[in-house]
Amino acid sequence: MTLFGIAWRNIRQRLLTSGLTALSLALGVALVVATLVTGRIVNRAFESGSGLGYNMIVGAKGSPLQLVLNSVYFISKPIENISWAFYQEFLSAAARPDGIDGRYAASTRTAVPICMGDYFRGHRVVGTNAAFFDRLTRGDGRPFEFTAGANFTDDDFFGGVLGAAVAAHLGLRVGDSFAPTHGADDGAVHDPFKVVGILARTDTPLDRGVFVNMEGFYLQDGHAKPLPDGEAPTAVAPPQASGHVPLPFNQREVTAILLETASLPGLPAELTAMGLRTAINEGRDGQAALPVAEIRQLLDLFVRPLELLLLLVTALVVLVSAIGILVSMVGSSLERSRDVAIMRALGARRSHVLATVLIEAVLLAVGGGIAGWVLGHLLVGAIGPWITTNAGVTASVFSAAPLAEALLVPFLVVLAVVAALLPAIAAYRTDVAKWLQGPG
Amino acid sequence: MAGMANPVVELRAVRKAFVAPGGEIVPVLDIDTFALEAGEQCALEGQSGSGKSTLLNVIAGIMRPDSGNVFVGGQDIARFDEASRDRVRADTLGLVFQQFNLLPGFTALENVLVAMSFGSVRPDRTRAADLLGAVGLGHRLDHKPAELSIGQQQRVAVARALANRPRAVLADEPTASIDTRHQQQVIDLLRDSCRTEGAALLVVTHDPGVAGQFPRQVRLEDFNRAARAAASPARPA
Ligand SMILES: Nc1ncnc2c1ncn2[C@@H]1O[C@H](COP(=O)(O)OP(=O)(O)O)[C@@H](O)[C@H]1O
Ligand SMILES: [Mg+2]
Repeated sequence: MTLFGIAWRNIRQRLLTSGLTALSLALGVALVVATLVTGRIVNRAFESGSGLGYNMIVGAKGSPLQLVLNSVYFISKPIENISWAFYQEFLSAAARPDGIDGRYAASTRTAVPICMGDYFRGHRVVGTNAAFFDRLTRGDGRPFEFTAGANFTDDDFFGGVLGAAVAAHLGLRVGDSFAPTHGADDGAVHDPFKVVGILARTDTPLDRGVFVNMEGFYLQDGHAKPLPDGEAPTAVAPPQASGHVPLPFNQREVTAILLETASLPGLPAELTAMGLRTAINEGRDGQAALPVAEIRQLLDLFVRPLELLLLLVTALVVLVSAIGILVSMVGSSLERSRDVAIMRALGARRSHVLATVLIEAVLLAVGGGIAGWVLGHLLVGAIGPWITTNAGVTASVFSAAPLAEALLVPFLVVLAVVAALLPAIAAYRTDVAKWLQGPG
Repeated sequence: MAGMANPVVELRAVRKAFVAPGGEIVPVLDIDTFALEAGEQCALEGQSGSGKSTLLNVIAGIMRPDSGNVFVGGQDIARFDEASRDRVRADTLGLVFQQFNLLPGFTALENVLVAMSFGSVRPDRTRAADLLGAVGLGHRLDHKPAELSIGQQQRVAVARALANRPRAVLADEPTASIDTRHQQQVIDLLRDSCRTEGAALLVVTHDPGVAGQFPRQVRLEDFNRAARAAASPARPA
């Protein structure tokens, strides 16, 4: 028999104690793994916002974090709307009816408007234009892909695109119709839009978004801004081939603008962005927020400390389990002394019996650790669907925090060895002659 | 030594003393010479406390004498460090005790295999099973000690003592906790097995009936000066 075989026998000999020890270790490890993995998922959910193809969000004055959470993550409510005229300031002459460059046009490369407030069966409806999918990126910097159909065009007023999770959840396909509701799920039912494209999964909050042409969005009840007394609607373009008449510009508002800033001549991109942000924030029309900075602040101030706290608690659980190993081994060390004496009489060296005890602890730690690791992933897999729909990131049995998890088992082994050191030394010191005499 | 052709165990000028709880030094062994020839079978008698177990422990290398030479298989283990003595014990000696002989968590077969784990030859499952078959336990290989009678346990111990083809088997009162009917079986088994395996045998016993069966019988008091002194009626006034 090898020393491993002997250690394994010793474990099986005290199956109940060993089993309970390994179980408590497994539960501790499962908690640690689940915490690590969900922490990692949450971090990824927020970090994925940094490759969306825009670096600034302009919205109504208020909390910049709320603006970011609402516009990027579809969390929390929109603050307020900003005026159409303000939005126009980011557009270049070619994109404006008056043919003059907007005030911020030079600092802007792309400006994508979004209008929020409607829902479709629990999912956020975002009114926007075709530039959203044509000009922005998936979060990892790559262009959007469609599993079916394609992006809506700006003159298809009632075209819509569904996020992957929405399409899967509601079983909708290209060609199907859907009618958003106003304000909330139980609000007034709007005119139906038609699904023209289904987004490939992005593992970002966009997966749970419903995107419609904002021209159609504007035509819904309650979406036109009431005109002040005496003001006449601005000139309206002639009806489209479809017969829809666009909403007059002075009755429009947008919730936010997703901006990709440009580089002013002779100025680095960062300074251009800073200057633009300062200029906007000093004005009265709205505020500019940098999503990456806001999210970093959120992570640093709130998510990471919380995660650390959770990790600390779970680490304590593991520590307690390790002490369990110690206690179970010390508890059996009287019984062990006799076994040790017999093995020594058979020619085992002190180092052999020391190793046997340590191997026993390591086997318990590795066994409990691996069981806990699997359990932790099953746990994440079990709550995965919930995370996926609520955070817009995939969470499954296979979600992992590779580095931390790779360190886990070596850490456990060290912990187990430390815990087993006392009983191992006791075994090392066993007085063979005394124990061989027996009690008689 | 003259006349001793091929001793497996040979002691020269061995002294061993213990420190009593009170602090005074109690000599237990003071032996000029003692030898066990290859294949020889010898019964060792002596009063309780005369140092029989201590002598066996010194031969086995579990204890180191305070002075003198202890040759086992030609090597003076009194000069060896503990790990080397452990190795010599694993390779050249088999031990049988009075009780608590077997590892309770291990099957009969595993108890024999464990003994093979510390010697220099690889554990051999077939030999382990054969040895158990030879002591009549071929049908009990996978039984734990608790599932065996005391007599059967002692037979496993005998098989285990022979696991590494030892040059000598040392048995410390192997029949003391067995009922009389089975005592004779264990003694016969020890003697037959050692003869078959070519191992010398040194058996400590209190029982004159047992000792009488051995071709050589020695009393520890006869060659251990420390025991003689302890047993002498002379007392300080
Ligand atoms: N480890 C020890 N420490 C102190 N005294 C011991 C120790 N081992 C044995 N003795 C003493 O040595 C003497 C001989 O013991 P032992 O060899 O066991 O005798 P026997 O086996 O002949 O009955 C006894 O007086 C015993 O108390
Ligand atoms: Mg004794």
